[in-house]
Amino acid sequence: MTKDKILQAPDMNVSAEERAAGGRKSISKEQVTKYLPYITLFSLVALISLYDPAFLKLENLLQTAQDISTLFIMALGMTFVIYIAGIDLSSQSVASMTTVIVALLLPSFGIGAALAAVIIGAVFGMASGLVHTRFKIASFIATLAVGGIAYATGQVVSGQRSTYMPADLREQSMGWMVGNTAGIPHEIFVALALLLIALFIERRTVFGRSLKAVGSGELAAVASGLKVTKIKVMTFALSGAFAAMAGVMLATRLSGGSPTMADQFLLPAIVAVLVGGTPLTGGVGGVLNTLIGALIVAVIRTSMTYLEVPAEAQQIFFGVVLIAAIALTIDRSKVKVVK
Amino acid sequence: MLEFKKVEKTFPGVRALKGIDFEIKRGEIVGLVGENGAGKSTLMKVIYGAYQHDGGEVLINGTPVVFRNPRDAMENGIGMVFQEQSLITNLTVMENIFLGFEAQFMKFGIINWRKMAQAACEQLKKVKLDVDPYTTTSELSFTQRQLVELAKVLTLEERVEGDLVILLDEPTSVLPRKEIELLFDLVRELRSRASFVFVSHRMDEVIELSDRIYVMKDGEVVDVVDSDGCDVDAIQHKMVGREIDKRYYREDKKHPYQQNKVLVETRNLGKEGEFSDVSLKLRAGEVLALVGTEGCGTEGVIRSIFGLDKPTAGELYLNGEPVRAFSAFNGVRSGVGYIPRERKIEGIVGGMSVVENMTLANMQDYSTWGVFKSGVERELAEQWVSKLSIKTATIDTHCGNLSGGNQQKVVLSKWRSAGAKIILLDHPTRGLDIGAKEDVYDMVREMCDDGCGVILIADTLEEALGLAHTIAVFKDGEIQKWFESGGDHQPDQYDLLHYMI
Repeated sequence: MTKDKILQAPDMNVSAEERAAGGRKSISKEQVTKYLPYITLFSLVALISLYDPAFLKLENLLQTAQDISTLFIMALGMTFVIYIAGIDLSSQSVASMTTVIVALLLPSFGIGAALAAVIIGAVFGMASGLVHTRFKIASFIATLAVGGIAYATGQVVSGQRSTYMPADLREQSMGWMVGNTAGIPHEIFVALALLLIALFIERRTVFGRSLKAVGSGELAAVASGLKVTKIKVMTFALSGAFAAMAGVMLATRLSGGSPTMADQFLLPAIVAVLVGGTPLTGGVGGVLNTLIGALIVAVIRTSMTYLEVPAEAQQIFFGVVLIAAIALTIDRSKVKVVK
Repeated sequence: MLEFKKVEKTFPGVRALKGIDFEIKRGEIVGLVGENGAGKSTLMKVIYGAYQHDGGEVLINGTPVVFRNPRDAMENGIGMVFQEQSLITNLTVMENIFLGFEAQFMKFGIINWRKMAQAACEQLKKVKLDVDPYTTTSELSFTQRQLVELAKVLTLEERVEGDLVILLDEPTSVLPRKEIELLFDLVRELRSRASFVFVSHRMDEVIELSDRIYVMKDGEVVDVVDSDGCDVDAIQHKMVGREIDKRYYREDKKHPYQQNKVLVETRNLGKEGEFSDVSLKLRAGEVLALVGTEGCGTEGVIRSIFGLDKPTAGELYLNGEPVRAFSAFNGVRSGVGYIPRERKIEGIVGGMSVVENMTLANMQDYSTWGVFKSGVERELAEQWVSKLSIKTATIDTHCGNLSGGNQQKVVLSKWRSAGAKIILLDHPTRGLDIGAKEDVYDMVREMCDDGCGVILIADTLEEALGLAHTIAVFKDGEIQKWFESGGDHQPDQYDLLHYMI
């Protein structure tokens, strides 16, 4: 729509070259990229309902949404990091670690255990951010390293064993997270509440605006006096906190913690962000996109169950989808040379 | 030899070239001028094969041709010397010259370096550049690299049959005057080997070098003039279709500055390898121009004042307060606004809307506890859009979709709305067309009337002389000479040049 307005005002001074360079190709591509996630989701749902109409049953849809909630929460945090053109590979390790922490702390602190776990997650994220910005180390290396630390911490703290939550305590402090109201699983409410918070951060806060500036024009952000380093550290901390929340929910749902509990999460979480339409180059997309992305992942998972693809083989497919999603969404004008 | 007949090029929504007639004869130097968006670049791209025309004919010696890509054009003797240098800096000079065409020196897949070096020497002789072909390109100066680039294009001479046409796109934009002269002499000598198309924003240079000048406006050739006896005003008039009078720099709106209100003071400020011993004062209402050749340190001075660079010696005072921590954040807090040369990289965030760009430097003013107050920033943006007549569809349009002039207005309103009183302008009119330049000059005057101080690194000496109250001439990172503009002894460009080089 903006395009039409521009063209109606020929004295806009948009040079012919600029228009030519950004002409039809990029505008139509822009629009395709914008709607691609919706088209994908819709087509997948259509395909799978053709294969098995039972998929569209409310009960089944709710089940699918419930199953994806934990992953979605992790992906929300990841979205912020990818939005500033970084990546957080520590998410699943942080989530695994927090399942252990929350299970261990629950007997002494009750709901405070969840809070402590989230703070610890944020601290790990902050550590990634500091390593990334202070030492100027690419975020994937920084988070890989911090993720390693988190993973090992989980192993050490748990003594490499699964820890169980006493059923009564779990029910008392965390029960609200996993119950059902009017047939709707509470995980869905929690995930939606977190989505609203994330959306508020993204759209309405100075921090959210700063993320956009850093994501789409970091040097201009610096030259406008933004504290870019601080913003980045906060972003990674936020991602760590969301990963920890995913961990808390996972632990509650499975009544215990294990240092490998979230092991299969990272790849689909990244896939959810990318197929949702937040490219690795950052600056566009956002948490609403990630909702769509997560739903796509959920539908893909369900279809693979229908098609009787074993769980351990699903990662093969997500790997392929990840590559395709990157290839489709990445803004190549921002990436001059790939090394 | 190369001839365009009614050549058309249409992009969706834009007719970029409307029936261009263009001809270049053997050994001729043809100038090409026009405002931004007039179609110069499109025409150049059609000539060297980056775009394909979709109407009319391109003829070489009377035969119609279509170049599918630049390599195709090269094989027909058309080469391009790029504005942004296209050499790979960690390769040697000779590797660059023969990049992509090494086969001639190969035997069984092995390159005979000595043979290539000899051939490279031949090419370098053509451009009178005396460097060892084994030199790594990064060790050369900017001018030398430009000559290597020219030598690279001249290899076409041996490779293709027929005549050469070489396109020079803004070759002088970053060269000091002396080297421009050398380049021009060289081009004149080389006309025995090739014809040239010369594109430049600097009208005087185009007139000096070219035989004939094509004036473009809105995708059309509006005039072809002989460079003998033509004058700059007449051509500019044709380019814009309006008169540029003596009030171009708004000198009638230039008011005296406030002597006693010092906004910026530097004492022996220095940064290793960039500038040293810089002592200057900027007062409210003053335009202080820093002039000098490229790389003379002026850019470092203003980046240090803003806080993006950290000086290594001397002191800086903003509004009388000494600056201890250098960061852009602190600069902004002290009321400094920086309009960088790289507008699209450091000035605007292309992917953000007009309103988002305008409030980027002082988001805290539009928010409570980090949450935006609804409506306030939009109101402000609307005000600035109408105040500076920024041409944008809405305030939610992405800034990257605006023209250069309007982008610059957005950057300026970002700082003005943030309450900046110290405005640092680094080539604020670079790449803008004349109308947009005039708007920038208007804004400079308005800011001065509002009590701002402006430090300007001008695009041309003329601009510095026209706008500034005070001029500091830099050479090799040091202030050589101070001039007062507008007094009894109005300096001219030659006075400044004298101290620059």
